Amino acid sequence: MSSRKFALLILAVALLVSVVAWWAAPIWRVVAIFVVAMTVWYLGTRFGIEQNNAQATIEPSILHRDEIAAMMNGLATEGRTQCDASLGELERVKDLLKEAIEQLISSFSSMNAHIEKQRDLALSIASGMTGESLGDSEVSFSDFVLDTSKTMGAFVDNTITTSKTAMRLVETMDVIDGSVKSILGILGEIEAIAKQTNLLALNAAIEAARAGEAGRGFAVVADEVRALSQRTNHFSQQIRGHMDAVHGSLTDAHGSIYSVASMDMNFALTSKQRVQETMTRIAAMNENMAGAAREIDFHAGQVGSGVNTAVTALQFQDMTSQLIAHAQARIEAIRTAAEDSAAAFSAANDVASGLAQATEHMQALAKVDSKRSNPVSQDSMGTGDIELF
Amino acid sequence: MGKVVLTVDDSASIRQMVAFTLKSAGYEVVEAVDGEDGLAKAKNKAADLVLTDQNMPKMDGLTLIKSLRGLPQYRSTPILMLTTESSDAMKAAGKSAGATGWLVKPFDPQKLLEVVKKVIG
Repeated sequence: MSSRKFALLILAVALLVSVVAWWAAPIWRVVAIFVVAMTVWYLGTRFGIEQNNAQATIEPSILHRDEIAAMMNGLATEGRTQCDASLGELERVKDLLKEAIEQLISSFSSMNAHIEKQRDLALSIASGMTGESLGDSEVSFSDFVLDTSKTMGAFVDNTITTSKTAMRLVETMDVIDGSVKSILGILGEIEAIAKQTNLLALNAAIEAARAGEAGRGFAVVADEVRALSQRTNHFSQQIRGHMDAVHGSLTDAHGSIYSVASMDMNFALTSKQRVQETMTRIAAMNENMAGAAREIDFHAGQVGSGVNTAVTALQFQDMTSQLIAHAQARIEAIRTAAEDSAAAFSAANDVASGLAQATEHMQALAKVDSKRSNPVSQDSMGTGDIELF
Repeated sequence: MGKVVLTVDDSASIRQMVAFTLKSAGYEVVEAVDGEDGLAKAKNKAADLVLTDQNMPKMDGLTLIKSLRGLPQYRSTPILMLTTESSDAMKAAGKSAGATGWLVKPFDPQKLLEVVKKVIG
């Protein structure tokens, strides 16, 4: 009997007693009887609750054992379906992770190799331009430009020196030409003297002929003097011929050397200036290159630390796979516990022992961790401790 | 020729990361997929250092260490554990099995190189 029905029965009896007392006794008795009846009702109510509590544990016993077994088997069947689906899904997650990590690592490795190659190439270009860290056998671009500039400078300097020397030669030749002209003038004088000597010798010969026999010897002398003046004149003509040739040659040489001296120096000077400008630009370029090389070094360092972080983070799959495997073990344990509980209950002789055995199987779940502890305790991808024994 | 490091792990990604890190520093790396494979490869080619995981199919890390310590040529070879396991009980088991040190995953490549350098130079 339920506690509520029991309490209502007590209340009804109390009311009945009160009504009977109303007819048979004074009013205070009625009140007293009513109070007693209410007390009894209250106590009855409390007693009823305790009865109710006591009945709760035995209430399932009124259900049929087969109904419970059917319910438990249904739960086990549905649980197995759900557990199997979950296990399959987790397996797919593991496979996806495995495939993804393989692709990630392969692309990461190839990316890293290319970055290293790129950095090496960039640094070798930079050092080739700036001449830093090159072996003796290698010639940097700046060395080449410096050499070219020096050669160009020497060439221009030589050309200018040659031009100046030619100018001096022209001046010297003018002086020589003047001397030649003076010599020609002196030769004219010599020829005039020879002409006059010749005339004097002729006069002397005339005077000797007039003297007759006494002048015969003088006539010989006069002839000799005349011959001498003619030879003098002849020599003078010869010297004049040579001096004319010298003058002609000097005039030719003068023309040639003058053309060398007056050659346009602008081309050489412009070239020298251009090479100097190029050198200035290359110096600025080298400065830029050195800056770029420093920046490449800096970025290489950044890449290195990024690679470190990536290598650490790329180990996530090992941890996640182990955690998934452990979660799968838990799900398997739940499935097994549900199946074993249902089977144990179905096989039991009565409800009480069936429930006890089923509970035992369920409690085995709590021991999952003690059988197979979780190998991964990390909560983040922070690097683990290192301990040397 | 650089020194030979044998890395034993059932996770391909860990083996690749160990190889990537050590090869860049000039070490030669031999990979094995579990304890049995590790033992066979250790016998096949003398390693200067063995770096092994704990939880692996067929043969786990502790068993591998014990087996290696039983071989004359691996009596004093450094053997490092590289595992997700970080409990003191496991570390103690590793120490008594003959491990030289214990590294908890995930490893930092710089630190791994420092430890390897310290242990085998």
